[in-house]
Amino acid sequence: MADHKLDAQLRTEFGKGAARRARRAHQIPAVIYGHGAEPLHVNLPGHQTMIAVRAANALLTLNVDGEEHLALVKDVQRDPVLQIIEHVDLLTVRRGEKVTVDVPVVVTGEVDATAVATQEAATISVEAEATHVPAHLEVDVEGRTPGQHLHASDIKLPSGVSLLVDAETMIVNVSEPVVADLGEEAPAAEGAEAAEGEEAAKAAEEAPAE
Amino acid sequence: MLIPRRVKFRKQHHPGRSGAATGGTRVTFGEYGIQALTPAYVTNRQIESARIAMTRHIKRGGKVWINIYPDRPLTKKPAETRMGSGKGSPEWWVANVKPGRVLFELSGVSDEVAREALRLAIHKLPLKARIVRREGGE
Repeated sequence: MADHKLDAQLRTEFGKGAARRARRAHQIPAVIYGHGAEPLHVNLPGHQTMIAVRAANALLTLNVDGEEHLALVKDVQRDPVLQIIEHVDLLTVRRGEKVTVDVPVVVTGEVDATAVATQEAATISVEAEATHVPAHLEVDVEGRTPGQHLHASDIKLPSGVSLLVDAETMIVNVSEPVVADLGEEAPAAEGAEAAEGEEAAKAAEEAPAE
Repeated sequence: MLIPRRVKFRKQHHPGRSGAATGGTRVTFGEYGIQALTPAYVTNRQIESARIAMTRHIKRGGKVWINIYPDRPLTKKPAETRMGSGKGSPEWWVANVKPGRVLFELSGVSDEVAREALRLAIHKLPLKARIVRREGGE
């Protein structure tokens, strides 16, 4: 995993006003914590941080007033509409230290024509060296037929990475395609629904209002 | 069509339209999703219409999730009625959608098919929306 080097500035003022000023100045408020130390509140450079946190569990080397900190990205708060990064949580780590992280699972290959693959788990919890966290784990579904599900034990883990979830946890569900209701009988169904709705309303009316 | 089985009170105040969604803003079940960009009351008919548009396009294969539920009744007075005489009768069931909310999710189909299916579904909805992908996916 690529190691990103960022220059961080210690935050001296707090609250939403200060945070908004920082964001206007293309900086991102962040906090560094872990190992029982006092949390450090910093501002990170906006553009570089945005590039760094694109990958899950990114490892950052932060220069805070001449002091170097190695940190893993623990959480990224985004505005759901504007997609701008509002805040980043960073977890202090040491080189060689084992950490528990959620790694994205990527499904590769195509299942059999008679089957449909549904990914049940988007991430999987593993223990890995902080400096060697895999960017993603791959599972191959090539040629799988209905019923040949993929479990956590089927994932090939890189050396130094161990699974923290039950080996029987389902990752990819390979099943027969469900024939979806295409709404062909729309008028009849609509009439039935309306009657049902009236019934529901009547029942609600009869029920004693508290 | 989605409709609550029973309700405690038949008539409610209008749901609040201000603010943005605080939850359900990420794609969690599927690979692709429709994210609302404006607030709206989405009726159960519109939800059903969007679902049918999606499932028709993806044909066999793929899975669709509906993340919203029309649990708020809206009332309407009959036409040519004088004001007063109490609140009108329940007319629609709506989901109160706020910007950022992921309404539908989809998985198990190719990128091209998924985007077209979601585009067709967006046209059935009374809001501006965009297609989003799950974070961390390839």
